[in-house]
Amino acid sequence: MAHADTGSLGVLPRRFQHATRLIVDWIPLAIVVVLWEFASGTAVPADVLPSPVTVSVQIADLLATGEIFSHLFVSLFRFGVGLGLSIAVGVVLGIGMARSAPIENFFDVFLSMLYPIPKVALVPLAMLWLGVGTGPAVLVVFLACLLPIIMNSYNAAGDVDQNLVWSAKMMGTEGWELLRKVVIPATIPHILTGIRQAIPIAFIALVSAELVASYEGIGYLILEAGQVGNYSLMFANIVVISAVAYAFVTGFEIARDRVVVWT
Amino acid sequence: MSDGDISISNLEKVYDDGAEKTKAIEDLSFDIDSGEFVGVVGPSGCGKSSLLYLIAGFLETTDGTISVDGEPIDGPGTDRGVVFQDYALFPWRTVMENVTYGLEEQGVSKEERRSTAQRYIDMMDLGGFEDRYPKELSGGMKQRVAIARTLAYDPKILLMDEPFGALDQPLRESLQDQLLDIWRDLEKTVVFITHDVEEAVYLSERVMIMTRRPGTKKTVVPFDLDRSLDREEIITSDKFVTTKNSVWKSLREETQPEVQP
Repeated sequence: MAHADTGSLGVLPRRFQHATRLIVDWIPLAIVVVLWEFASGTAVPADVLPSPVTVSVQIADLLATGEIFSHLFVSLFRFGVGLGLSIAVGVVLGIGMARSAPIENFFDVFLSMLYPIPKVALVPLAMLWLGVGTGPAVLVVFLACLLPIIMNSYNAAGDVDQNLVWSAKMMGTEGWELLRKVVIPATIPHILTGIRQAIPIAFIALVSAELVASYEGIGYLILEAGQVGNYSLMFANIVVISAVAYAFVTGFEIARDRVVVWT
Repeated sequence: MSDGDISISNLEKVYDDGAEKTKAIEDLSFDIDSGEFVGVVGPSGCGKSSLLYLIAGFLETTDGTISVDGEPIDGPGTDRGVVFQDYALFPWRTVMENVTYGLEEQGVSKEERRSTAQRYIDMMDLGGFEDRYPKELSGGMKQRVAIARTLAYDPKILLMDEPFGALDQPLRESLQDQLLDIWRDLEKTVVFITHDVEEAVYLSERVMIMTRRPGTKKTVVPFDLDRSLDREEIITSDKFVTTKNSVWKSLREETQPEVQP
């Protein structure tokens, strides 16, 4: 939950602001959880909508038995490899396209075609090519993350302040060195924005692929629990993967702010 | 001294964006002596910034030549340093890292880089801010860093593009005086672009007035102010006021709409 300013909490003493903001941020979620608790078993049958307490017990159980961790590890491995590849390819391609017209002309049509396709729709194709398991999940995560990373790198690298480039040139920087000493540092904040946008997309793609094309991972666990009619277990797995995704986004934002202290 | 003179002959610059051609500069010839401080004023859009960037080697001439110390220029070079109006500091580098950049590119050792940079940082009253990033500095401080960065790699020629245009009056005045001290101490050739007639006359030894676009040299006003005086004495002196008025009148003719016969 990002909060750039303290808003109306500005009137409070500074040391209370943070704690108060934390509480205020979580109030909507708390309200929904409380309503959910009351609705479950009254307005909606409890086996269709298990109560938060039941789900929490289920999560505690999952964590206690440790059963979930091997699946979580598999999912995170796929997430990491898929996202990592998309960063490696996307940054190079994005900067390449921005700085070289032939590269731009060559890849432009593919990006335009890939852009409107829901990447999740590629899961059956990925299965056809790579079977079931890590292969299709990595491929779908990779493809889903590629566009935000390419687009952010491409736009930023093509839009580097002319005067910065000239400044470097007048001090003797030439050729590839301009890329390393000016274009890349100027592009880094935007590359990080692309990665930040890609993280939730990666989780969407990951779980979607695992629902269909995997016998391991959190997506598989969600589907399996649903198929045997254990809806509280299904909810527990959904909550776990949501929390993990949230933790990654938040962790990444904190890390990013420490890396690019100069922005 | 024979270092840092600029010779411009029959310079022409046409911008061609494919759809239309815009002639920014036409048949401009002008010589600047080494160690001279020349102000350039002109109506907006007259090509004075283009002129500066052509001298810097950032832009290519369409016709004519620009020579530095008798050698026609070929692209940017470390004999010339530009100070931009928007500072153009590298935001990912600290003050110290910005100022050492040019020395880094020349392969100067780390200790020497730091000690040289420190000298210019101190000269620009930036001591204590070495490890700050540009975003943490005020506009006036950023411009002082930019000047220190340019001085540190010791170009013979300073090309300044309305460097104080974005700053408020007291800050401009103190930076103007700092620049005059530097110019005297370091014996640089300075080409200073401004739209402020008073600034041009206060700083320069000669002012070139440019015509409206396509810009060319309209006239050059030489003058000789007594630099031993302080600011107030200079700007109230008859010579300053007369010079300022003549530059202003000449510029005014270019900014007024043409009189229909």
